[in-house]
Amino acid sequence: MTPAATEPVKGFFTDTTLCIGCKACEVACKQWNQLPDDGLFFTGMSYDNTVELGASTWRHVAFIERPAALDGRQGDAFSWLFSSDVCKHCARAGCLEACPTGAILRTEFGSVYVQPDVCNGCGYCVVNCPFGVIDRRQDDGRAWKCTLCYDRLKSAMTPACAKSCPTESIQFGNLDELRAKARQRVKELHQRGMKEAYLYGEDAASQPGTEGLHAFFLLTERPEVYNLPPDPVVPTKKVAAAWTSMAMAALGMFAAALASVALGRRAGGRA
Amino acid sequence: MSDQPDFRQIDSSLAMLTGEAAGQQVEQQDQHLARAVPKPWPDAPAVAGDPTYYDRPVLKQPVWIWAVPLYFYVGGLSGAALTMAAAAQLLEGSRLWRFVKDCRLIGGIGGGIGSALLIIDLGRPSRFLNMLRVFRPTSPMSVGAWVLAAAAPVGLGTALWSHKPGFRGRTADFVGLAGGALGMPLAGYTAVLLSNSAIPVWQAGRRPMPFLFVSSSMASLASFYEILGAPRAARTTLTIFGAAGRVAEIAALKAVEKEAAKVERVARPLHRGASGIVLKIAGALNAASLILSLWPGRSRKRQLAAGILGTAGSIALRYGIYYAGCASARDPRASFHQQRQGYGARELEQSVYPG
Repeated sequence: MTPAATEPVKGFFTDTTLCIGCKACEVACKQWNQLPDDGLFFTGMSYDNTVELGASTWRHVAFIERPAALDGRQGDAFSWLFSSDVCKHCARAGCLEACPTGAILRTEFGSVYVQPDVCNGCGYCVVNCPFGVIDRRQDDGRAWKCTLCYDRLKSAMTPACAKSCPTESIQFGNLDELRAKARQRVKELHQRGMKEAYLYGEDAASQPGTEGLHAFFLLTERPEVYNLPPDPVVPTKKVAAAWTSMAMAALGMFAAALASVALGRRAGGRA
Repeated sequence: MSDQPDFRQIDSSLAMLTGEAAGQQVEQQDQHLARAVPKPWPDAPAVAGDPTYYDRPVLKQPVWIWAVPLYFYVGGLSGAALTMAAAAQLLEGSRLWRFVKDCRLIGGIGGGIGSALLIIDLGRPSRFLNMLRVFRPTSPMSVGAWVLAAAAPVGLGTALWSHKPGFRGRTADFVGLAGGALGMPLAGYTAVLLSNSAIPVWQAGRRPMPFLFVSSSMASLASFYEILGAPRAARTTLTIFGAAGRVAEIAALKAVEKEAAKVERVARPLHRGASGIVLKIAGALNAASLILSLWPGRSRKRQLAAGILGTAGSIALRYGIYYAGCASARDPRASFHQQRQGYGARELEQSVYPG
């Protein structure tokens, strides 16, 4: 789904087993992209006071206090799960296929980009993202999300979040290389006894609904725990059934109109 | 940099606003966190069993305002009117010519009002013409924008010029038939638009929802004429058309409930909460208007009551479906259960339906 790519497809591999929850990615993203702050707010959701991705929040670190040890670990029945969430830049992107203005496009790097000078804020992308990533900001009126640091990619630089990640939990690179690296990493973790490690959305085979994510994850719990959908699907893949119903219903209405005109003929006088 | 705080804390003597999000216009501090977590979460959520992430929604709620469900009603009414006009012209063009004109006028004016409702909902209303910048068949909203953009002027133009002698009249009569072809999708595409979303209850209802919206549009037209007072020549026609629409509307709502009920959590907002109440009221109003409209004997008061109840029912139905979608988006388990029970992407592999 990457027409006329002039560059190799780029993406993120987020290895959550390496994440330490430092939120450097969140800060770097805000600073580089010059996003407004979210305010100082205390949620009580562990150390997560960011809550969710949104129009002005393009990286979000999830904090899960799991009352069980990781596979192959001794000690207390407790483990920290951290995961830096981001726009997945899906191979089949719901937002892009829904956008009626053509504001959302696929870049030469295979990423999904919203053009702020075209978006008219219709809000249709918002309900079409199966991950709840893109959002419309009320005072701005337009939809916003992660750009995969399009400006940095243009200058052959690494996106701000990956650049700032101190543990290389967020890795940026060519998608095929990232996939190979990720598969190797899962193998290693399994050998070390962490059998629960798996990849989320690394290609079309693992996530047919999106045909693979350009920002995929290594997880150690079920996706729901990280607020990721277990079997997401681009809405467009299911829409043919709705169009078929609509065609039948519309023809039914026309038939009903013809029939009621014909039946009304006897009863009617002149208009 | 202006004096107005933009919550970026960037000193303009040291840095320029050129980042990817520098153009994001901020007027007030975003309150979404205060809304998202009104009081601090008391303890760590369970990971075993049926987990969520602190019960946070996995999806974003629709951002549309009150104008959008109202547009679903107005657009549906216009679509039904244009369709009826084409049918009446085909079969009874000379006897019902005034009714045909009136229907086209309703279609044209409704299309105009509908467009206005959609434009005020836009985050950037001045950019409404961007809707016609591209044609994107994968986007039901793009398809609908083009249909609406064509239907409104066709309705108005043909209302003015059809059934007139000469070339202009003949052209208008012909274009009016094409207007019927625009009215049909205008009445139903909004259901496709909602179905084509990640919102569990809308996606689950994608097969019956277009029937629901189209039949509700038929009922809306009949109700509208019951309020106006139907012309004598078309009275029986409208009664039959409206009864068919109202019966189908009641049946299609049941079908939507049945489709959604495949996953208990997905069907929940159709029965519970504010959306459940609105849908119950809609069902009762539509049933009442059906009974009143078919009651034997002729009474202007009863006709008026049927029209008012039917109109209220059709409007309530659109709001109920819309708010059910909002509630469904807020419930992460609706998405999780739907996908775990095989109605995510897996449904496509097993499905006997194409797509």
